[in-house]
Amino acid sequence: MQPRLVAKLHRRVCFVQTDDAVLAEELLARKKLAAEIVGRLSDRVLLVRPGRVDAVIDELLKMGHAPQVVGRAGS
Amino acid sequence: MRDTLARYTDVLFRLSTGSLVKPKIGQSIDDLRDRVCDAQSNAPVIDRRLRELPAGAQALVRLMGLSRCPVWKAGHLIALAAAAGHADGFAPVEELLGAGVAFPADEGDSKIADFAAWFGQAGTLAAPVFVHPAVLARARGLVAVPPAKPRGATVGTSDGLEWPLRIAAAWQRSRAAAVKTTLAKTLFKRDLARLQSDELLISPFAESALAVPDAGVLAFEWAVAAGLFRAGVNEFVAEPAIPDWSESPWPTLTHLFARFFAVETWDPRAGYAPSEGGLNPTPTAALAMLDQLARASAPRTAAELAGPLWEHHPSWPSALSRDDARDHGAAWVEAFLQAIAGPLRLVEAVAGEPRAYRLAEFGRHLLCGDPEPPPPPVYAQTLMVQPNAEMIVYRQGLTPRLIAELSRFAAWKRLGTACTLELTADETYRGLESGLTLAVMRQTLDRHAMRPLPANVADLLRRWADKRERVTVYPSATLVEFLSPADLDLALSRGTVAIKLTDRIGLTADGHDPDFRLLRLIGNREYDARPAKCVSIAPDGLTLTVDAGQADLLLEAEIGRLAEPLPLNGTAHRQFRLTPASLRAANSKGMNLESIDRWLGTRAGEPLSAAGRLFLTFDPAPRPQARTCRVVRLPSPEFADGLLQWPDTAELVRERLGPTAVVVDDDRLPELKAKLNGLGIELEEGL
Repeated sequence: MQPRLVAKLHRRVCFVQTDDAVLAEELLARKKLAAEIVGRLSDRVLLVRPGRVDAVIDELLKMGHAPQVVGRAGS
Repeated sequence: MRDTLARYTDVLFRLSTGSLVKPKIGQSIDDLRDRVCDAQSNAPVIDRRLRELPAGAQALVRLMGLSRCPVWKAGHLIALAAAAGHADGFAPVEELLGAGVAFPADEGDSKIADFAAWFGQAGTLAAPVFVHPAVLARARGLVAVPPAKPRGATVGTSDGLEWPLRIAAAWQRSRAAAVKTTLAKTLFKRDLARLQSDELLISPFAESALAVPDAGVLAFEWAVAAGLFRAGVNEFVAEPAIPDWSESPWPTLTHLFARFFAVETWDPRAGYAPSEGGLNPTPTAALAMLDQLARASAPRTAAELAGPLWEHHPSWPSALSRDDARDHGAAWVEAFLQAIAGPLRLVEAVAGEPRAYRLAEFGRHLLCGDPEPPPPPVYAQTLMVQPNAEMIVYRQGLTPRLIAELSRFAAWKRLGTACTLELTADETYRGLESGLTLAVMRQTLDRHAMRPLPANVADLLRRWADKRERVTVYPSATLVEFLSPADLDLALSRGTVAIKLTDRIGLTADGHDPDFRLLRLIGNREYDARPAKCVSIAPDGLTLTVDAGQADLLLEAEIGRLAEPLPLNGTAHRQFRLTPASLRAANSKGMNLESIDRWLGTRAGEPLSAAGRLFLTFDPAPRPQARTCRVVRLPSPEFADGLLQWPDTAELVRERLGPTAVVVDDDRLPELKAKLNGLGIELEEGL
């Protein structure tokens, strides 16, 4: 049997992942969106303030993006 | 139902279900509950019990059966029984409960010792009562009805799609944002105004040009009752798709017919009319009136149908407007028949004056037990997509299923004999978000199109779909953090995680929990928990050690802003180092000394070390200088004060080092010597 890997879980994390780093920069340049971002895990992964994911989705839609929402009913 | 029976006291349970099941010696109460539940679908047992019921209870359960709606409020049941000629208050409802035919349906968990007391606990008139659908089906046959439809030529027949179309459009137009309700469970003013003024939802009916009062509000409320929305806290949120709408219209119309009786805020004449306590008389008056038509051997006029309601219904006459009350509610009946019963294909008008109504084939199927009518012919190719992305759909080929499918990804623009929809980026996006794929959308269009999809529209759909791949939002994912990049790579190769987010963090494809059997967990953190102390500072003041078990995800993002990672040392604890470069970079990104102190205070319990401050507060201009100077030690502080005050010597002193020591540049020492000589003081030079 393969040895189990040591790991830690982070639950209920809300984040945005972009196709490329430039797009992440573009999102961060949007003032309203940047206010909802609490950190950057990598150049393409932005951590969203807990409980503010709907505001982020709304703002993305206003920017003309079509965010794919993963992990909700229907998706 | 088992849970409800568990709330009964033993005495009440045995009293109310004794006629349904005979207890055997040694049988446990749990077994008896199971047998009572099983008995609900045992037709001979139920038939016997129904025949033994008093007349009022029998009439009531039959009307409930006709409605196909298994849950009614006690207040409605009292009104229904009264409309059927049994104005005995709670008695018929209590008789149904006492016979084990009906059951409390409230969400409470308190013990029920007698039903009269339970009504009080559960809201009296609002107390919900449940009858099993199998019992409802048997109850429909309690009264014989005329074996055939009354004679007469039909005037105009509906295709039955008017309400499915409007309900689907109401769902589509309310799925972008939740519809808010007040604490009193009425619609929030802004949402109500939107539904009342939506030109599509309030447009006149295609077949009769009838304008239904507050048709948009009714379409929404009906959609809620039909399960197209789920209730949240003071809001309704659209389900991702319209569930289970069938190819044949009959199952969908049957479902909508049953769910109409759960709409409590609409009146055929007044429109949106929420009432206190939610006991709007429309559902009960409508059901009682349809029952009259089911029993009638000849077509009935609206006035004839309104008469018994006016006479027996306890609350309907008082809810009529003064104008409507003049003709005893005949206008109300006419409005209901034209707005609801006709478009649902329950009734049809018969030629002649005054206009009279009878049940149509589908109405007879629902209310008289006739066989289900054959489904209308299906014309699969019924839509045409134009190069401007508009779509024309002919009603002849529409089915409830096609309405539900199109509603997921195309916007309704016009409802008529030919309906118009539009393919848009927004609706394509919502379709994809509801779980559709581009291929399924194309398949739906191709299967029903009379002409091939224009190339530019196909291209548009593809581009809109591709756009969705660029930004992904995970509202509530579980991230798995490994000790090293190598461990993450191993986890990816084993399939424990599917997506690599950083060099050490991954997640499953759907963002849900990974298979725990493959992991040894050393920590479990909630993202929205308060930041915890999880960093220790080494004696050098610069090396930060992260406690892997305590650290949260934000730490990962935050610590990298002011410290550089050190190579892994084989332990679970990762280390970072504060360097001049890392601190200056943090400073340039807006982290000043105060915010760094605050962050370290939260995460490490102490502020930035002196070494760290040196890196951060050090001002590179002017630079430190090394030069040769002479330290002149003076005999007393007063001597030094004098030396620094006398302008001739003060300009020669570079700096006072202490009470009796000053620094003088090497090249200016002879000058100082000369000045002091002038005062008769000799400066002794040491090596």
